[in-house]
Amino acid sequence: MRHAARSPRTSRLDGLSQNLVILTWGTLASSHRVSAEMSNAKERKHAKKMRNQPTNVTLSSGFVADRGVKHRNGGGKPFQAQKEPHSGTSRQRQTRTAHHALAESDANEQSSSRVTFKKKGGWKAGPEGTSQEIPKYITASTFAQARAAEISAMLKAVTQKSSNSLVFQTLPRHMRRRAMSHNVKRLPRRLREIAQKEAEKAVHQKKEHSKNKCHKARRCHINRMLEFNRRQRKNIWLETHIWHAKRFHMVKMWGYCLGERPTVKSHRACYRAMTSRCLLQDLSYYCCLELKGKEEEILRALSPMCSGDTGLTFAAVHYLSGKCQGSLLLYRANKYPRETLGPVTFIWKSERTPGDTSESRQLWIWLHPTLKQDILEEIKAVCQCVEPTGSAVCIPDPLLTPSQEKSQTELPEEKIGRKRKRKDDRENAKPVKKIVGDGTRDPLQPYSWISPATGIIISDLTMEMNRFRLIGPLSHSILTEALKAASVHTEGEDAEKTPHRWWAEACKNPDSVSLHHRQEAVFELLGGVTSPAEVAAGTVLGLTVGDPRINLPQKRSKTLPNPEKCQDNEKVTQLLLEGVPVECSHSFLWNQDICKSVTENKISDQDLNRMRSELLVPGSQLVLGPHESRVPILLIQQPGKVTGGDQRGWGSGWDVLLPKGWGMAFWIPFIYRGARVGGLKEAVMHSQYKRSPNVPGDFPDCPAGILFAEEQAKNLLEKYKRRPPAKRPNYVKLGTLAPFCCPWEQLTRDWESRVQAREESSAASSPGGGEMGPTGDVVPGALMPGRTRQLSGEAGTSLNDAEVMDTDCPARAGPEWATSRGATSSLFCVLRSRKLLRQLSAWCGDRRVARLGPGRGQQELSREVCLSVLDCFPRALVWVRLSLLRKGSPEPHTMICIPAKEDLLQLSCDRLYRGPQESKHCDPFKSKIRKQKEKEKTEKRQNRGSATSESLADGDPAAGPHALTLGLWSGPLPAVTSHCSRVLLGFVTRGDFSMAVGCGEALGFVSLTGLLDMLSSQPGGQRGLVLLRPPASLQYRFARVTVEV
Amino acid sequence: MNEQELGLGRCGSFRVHNMAENREPRGAVETELDPVEYTLRKRLPHRLPRRPNDIYVNMKTDFKAQLTRCQKLLDGGARGQNACTEIYIHGLGLAINRAINIALQLQAGSFGSLQVAANTSTVELVDELEPETDTREPLTRIRNNSAIHIRVFRVTPK
Repeated sequence: MRHAARSPRTSRLDGLSQNLVILTWGTLASSHRVSAEMSNAKERKHAKKMRNQPTNVTLSSGFVADRGVKHRNGGGKPFQAQKEPHSGTSRQRQTRTAHHALAESDANEQSSSRVTFKKKGGWKAGPEGTSQEIPKYITASTFAQARAAEISAMLKAVTQKSSNSLVFQTLPRHMRRRAMSHNVKRLPRRLREIAQKEAEKAVHQKKEHSKNKCHKARRCHINRMLEFNRRQRKNIWLETHIWHAKRFHMVKMWGYCLGERPTVKSHRACYRAMTSRCLLQDLSYYCCLELKGKEEEILRALSPMCSGDTGLTFAAVHYLSGKCQGSLLLYRANKYPRETLGPVTFIWKSERTPGDTSESRQLWIWLHPTLKQDILEEIKAVCQCVEPTGSAVCIPDPLLTPSQEKSQTELPEEKIGRKRKRKDDRENAKPVKKIVGDGTRDPLQPYSWISPATGIIISDLTMEMNRFRLIGPLSHSILTEALKAASVHTEGEDAEKTPHRWWAEACKNPDSVSLHHRQEAVFELLGGVTSPAEVAAGTVLGLTVGDPRINLPQKRSKTLPNPEKCQDNEKVTQLLLEGVPVECSHSFLWNQDICKSVTENKISDQDLNRMRSELLVPGSQLVLGPHESRVPILLIQQPGKVTGGDQRGWGSGWDVLLPKGWGMAFWIPFIYRGARVGGLKEAVMHSQYKRSPNVPGDFPDCPAGILFAEEQAKNLLEKYKRRPPAKRPNYVKLGTLAPFCCPWEQLTRDWESRVQAREESSAASSPGGGEMGPTGDVVPGALMPGRTRQLSGEAGTSLNDAEVMDTDCPARAGPEWATSRGATSSLFCVLRSRKLLRQLSAWCGDRRVARLGPGRGQQELSREVCLSVLDCFPRALVWVRLSLLRKGSPEPHTMICIPAKEDLLQLSCDRLYRGPQESKHCDPFKSKIRKQKEKEKTEKRQNRGSATSESLADGDPAAGPHALTLGLWSGPLPAVTSHCSRVLLGFVTRGDFSMAVGCGEALGFVSLTGLLDMLSSQPGGQRGLVLLRPPASLQYRFARVTVEV
Repeated sequence: MNEQELGLGRCGSFRVHNMAENREPRGAVETELDPVEYTLRKRLPHRLPRRPNDIYVNMKTDFKAQLTRCQKLLDGGARGQNACTEIYIHGLGLAINRAINIALQLQAGSFGSLQVAANTSTVELVDELEPETDTREPLTRIRNNSAIHIRVFRVTPK
């Protein structure tokens, strides 16, 4: 009743923008101002809310409603009413005069200010509404009509859903049916229309499938295979890819699709698996290079690439015999200690193999895919291998040969078994074959090279073998449970019938049979050894095993070590003492032809399962006799933690090398015996707790490491920029010059000039001259080409882009890549001479080594010794381990600093002393950025006013943030060592809370010059104490440096 | 009882075994070998699969923690479920003292309900001598160390 009697007000709903325009008398001026400030987002929100409201319903906005006595437009045609507010419907006639005036003012207001504001709140009439007088009379017809309109609006609102949910989601649970979301007919009839609309909308939003095939057709084996083959053409898939893709976060890295980390929460579980059970990793992405030729030739060619200083080389006696796997660092020929190429592991094929009389030796070099390009080029250069071998063009290509052969053998079978429909397709199309091995290989590109001068043949065996790594003490029992040595082919069996002729032939030779039995005996003995760390490091054991799928357990179970096996004490002791006999390291895996035949003659899972289902007694052991596949494998012990005093042997395990095609056949049996699977993240964790540098992140001096650092810096910068400036640390204020990368180059240079300056000043006998060290720092910015790239990645964007493309396909990166790296190759090096490292380790206060010290020809830390070391390595970095004394867990890019005298003093007084704090720095860039922003703003305004071309306006903001980012140091870095109150020594590359030690632990590099400087100035008891400060913190924390050899 | 088999048949093993260093006849090693050419690496002692009631004592973990661990094994859960009637405490080399200490502490705190029976043994440890130069073969040698295996068991009052 009240409504009709209210004094008339005009309210209008803008039909198009759905913004409510309410005209009020007095409050216009103020409310306009308010509304002008309202953000766009609010408007949009309101529009959304109003979307499903009947148009004639007016919701009062808070501030207007105060005085508002609203006139409800009762018309049944709301849109019309909006467009022509006084179109003369009968109800409005009585209020026409007032109306008219208002409408005019309304129009004026609208045109002048173009301000719209939105209502808030609901149907509040406001407090004033109640105080209105009750009308004396009402006109029935008008009143009823108005109500009718309101009712219809209400009805409309009810039928239209307002929430974001789908129609079937609004149904009560008991009315829901299966598959409602895609089958409209499952819905009640009244909702079908709406659901239909929704479904159409959803179809538009959905990603279009590339092919119009239905789900069933897509799942069909052949189509799936085609699709899989297409998808692995760009990035190589491992054989376990599908298994991983279902359970892991996959990343495309280094030209492969790799599992990064499990989707389940399993950080700690993986650590436990490594420590006390077994962790399985697929390392098939590691690349293998094969060198074939005379031993002396290979050794002569490779010797310039490695140095005896860093440890044993290719020529070490026990490596050469093939008994052990060796590992070393490769350098560019004759460039040691500079120009590192990266770490590799290698195995020689054992000399004495039955039936092999030729002088030719085989050497496998295993390396990380990021290092492959450089190392392959360098090895080719040192071996003078330039000519691609003719046979290599077709032979090692995994795609064509097997598939063709297989298709020929399979064809008769297919003709019987397949449906006719499919056969038609198949006849013109090439039979689809699962890609085994490297799917990205270009058949025209050579994969094998021969040298006319030395006779060495280099071939690239990438993806020709699978490499699985088992880490942890249970790996022995898992291996012995899952793998059973192959049964010897007896004379009675028909040799012609078996597809595995190589095995039948090998079994004819009594020598190889006895060797096989000996290998089997050694393998069985391993079951009685409870930890892989008890076996000699790098032991190689060859073996031929039966098909592991045959004795697969019914269910996934956990293998436990068998105590009975452990009783055989003498033999085990002998094995541990003498290691695996040399001849036992022989394996047929070295023979390419046998490998190929093994891969081709693998019984498919389908056939195996069919045979299993045809067994007379279900669930009984399947006996295939001579048809069972025999797989040659190679087991390699991986030493765990070999450096340092504590936790020796942590993370040791076995690597299993398999011929390609057999990956899944071995993978599942391992998992069914209780192995847990880890991805790349677990591999990083493993190497971190082992305190060994991780490839490629912890090799800042090798090209792959530099590339990795750049990419990491870029990613971190992007992530940083995504946050609003107020919600991210201002690194300039925190005094962190390089939060995303480690400027090694500048660090080493700064230290060099620092010490030089001190030398000079001490010669001039002026104390305090040491602070003048960084004087030379203004100049070198121009000298260093690498400098710009080390800054937060902004300046070097174009360069980075080019390199990112390279990483996508490192195999095709070509020589251009190598030269670009070579041009910027760094001047600093990483100290890897074992002798020097041992000495440093003693100086750092590693008591264990120190005790041995005098007997080992160690020198006391003195100035002369330091200088002689620095002469050889003026700009060197040292790989150190830092363990925190008390609280704190360091993160990557944490700064390692030298404690000042008073810090050490305070620490000796108070053992709980946390460490000093860095005082806040000022941010000289902040004002610059503000100025820049203002400038932009004014420009923009001018641009809009003069309506200049948009390209100008667009160009400016794009360039603006590029030059300056709030919170980051821009421009060339000032002296990095003396930027903060404590002198910078180095950076942490990997750090975390270590579950192995139970406190924060970090690994990183420090400047050798700085380290020696620090050690010589610190007193004996506190020698080796440093301060750590994460990039986003002001708090320094104490840590102890150790150098582990 | 069968403590003979259970106690004596098992040899002690340690994750951290540099505690055994003091006993190593280092003088002999150094006279025979040039330290510049070989690095000494000690391998883990051979160990048997661990039963739940085996406790290997080391010198790195806090003494109190190891004691409570033993006590918990003997006491079992809140209502005494899963309580072991006997536990074996193994100590090798330097940790022999500590193993004895733990066993005696357990006995002292039990008001006479626990008894101890000790066995000693000799454990063979393998030392690996890693060559520093390419021309030398790696060597291994066996070193003996003493170990103790203490059986701590509950006596039922008769």
